[in-house]
Amino acid sequence: MAHEDYKEMLPARALSALDAADERALDEHLSDCAECRTELADWESTAAALALSVSPVEPSARVRDRLMSAVRNERRNQEWTKSRVVGFPQARRAQWTAFGRVGAIAAAVLFLVLILWAVVLWQENRSLRHQRDQLYAQLDYVEKDSQVSKELLSILSTPGAKATPLSGSGPGAGASAQLVYNPGGRALLLANRLPPAPTGKEYQLWFIVGNNPPIPGKTFSPDEGGQGELSDDVPRQARGSGVFAITLEPVGGSSAPTSAIYLRSGL
Amino acid sequence: MPLVFSLGYTDKPLLRSEQPHDQDVDLLKAVAARDEAALGQLYDHYRLILFGVLMRILNNREEAEDVLQEVFLQVWRRAADFDENRGRPFTWLVTLARSRGIDRLRALASRERVATMAEAGANEASEAVSDAATDAIRSEQRGVVNSALSQLPEDQKRPLMLAYFDGLTQSEIALQLGAPLGTVKTRMRTGMMKLRELLSARGQYF
Repeated sequence: MAHEDYKEMLPARALSALDAADERALDEHLSDCAECRTELADWESTAAALALSVSPVEPSARVRDRLMSAVRNERRNQEWTKSRVVGFPQARRAQWTAFGRVGAIAAAVLFLVLILWAVVLWQENRSLRHQRDQLYAQLDYVEKDSQVSKELLSILSTPGAKATPLSGSGPGAGASAQLVYNPGGRALLLANRLPPAPTGKEYQLWFIVGNNPPIPGKTFSPDEGGQGELSDDVPRQARGSGVFAITLEPVGGSSAPTSAIYLRSGL
Repeated sequence: MPLVFSLGYTDKPLLRSEQPHDQDVDLLKAVAARDEAALGQLYDHYRLILFGVLMRILNNREEAEDVLQEVFLQVWRRAADFDENRGRPFTWLVTLARSRGIDRLRALASRERVATMAEAGANEASEAVSDAATDAIRSEQRGVVNSALSQLPEDQKRPLMLAYFDGLTQSEIALQLGAPLGTVKTRMRTGMMKLRELLSARGQYF
């Protein structure tokens, strides 16, 4: 197919109306053609203007409340994981030189009582912290599990959804993963038996199309059992024929891979 | 020189010669920096238009509200992905909402809940509101878009609407309209070209 043929497909692509085969062919072309990518963005603006053809409708006020509450919860959870345990204040050295003998003994006894009291408080604090952490971990696990199942169901129930297996290689030998995504690119990665990520490192997803530089995806950390999951969007050009890979990168991810490939598709 | 309106949220009309600065770009940057108030403002700017689109796609208030919340949670998580060089916040947000709405529509259809949903939707109070008070400029843009659409021949307009709001592919549209696939492709392309031409003739800034 010639460049002009692909250009003719762009308006329909902006309406996501291309049939699967046409979409795959165009996406492959788009990964190599900057002119068509720019023109597609222009058509997407025209398509978005169609949103103004429907009348505005007021959602109920609870949507905003639920949204802001969900955002605050998400933020609180993130802060919990980042927060450091409040340090126990150091007991100040007793200043007893100004006291007499009795005073010194009383101060020493008081000091001892304070120390014992501090130890009791510290133990109690530790136990409560431990319980709290366990409850949060359980809550997180249940919430996460339910979210992952919901997301997976939502993706897999879209016609044309795809599942691509990723196999372990190099340092990730023994690991495996599945990447499912729908024609809109909404994707979920489920990984198993990954080695634990060292401190300061996370696993990162990459989308590789032909000989182009890998496109960075999001990052994730597996749990102690080596299981990890990640929601991301597959770029258009990587849908259908792209290769997916996982590497170990500094926390926050990299713009280009810096480690060996742990998992990849198409092996 | 004609006045040219931006599709982003603005306080005043912009001249084409001016480089428009979209307040929503700043809001998205603030959201990316974890500013909850900015997310609230963005929600206030876009809730009417995005909810209107989701109601048009899903025809069910409960599902549409669920997706609307999902869309803005996605905005909270992915605001850093917005690239102002690749498009305007309006396009980014509308595309995100429309795509999530179509995903939900397909998921519901595949669970064979369409009939139930349409029945429930028929009873939904989806009273349209005027957004003139909150955004006079956008109200004017609505007029421009509807006027442009009314100038498209029905056989060009229909495929655009079926694709955009019902998530149908060209083959599905051909089947639904009983027209050859090649004809549908041509009408869709011609319709989009004409729509773009009409919008730019009316000075819409994209």
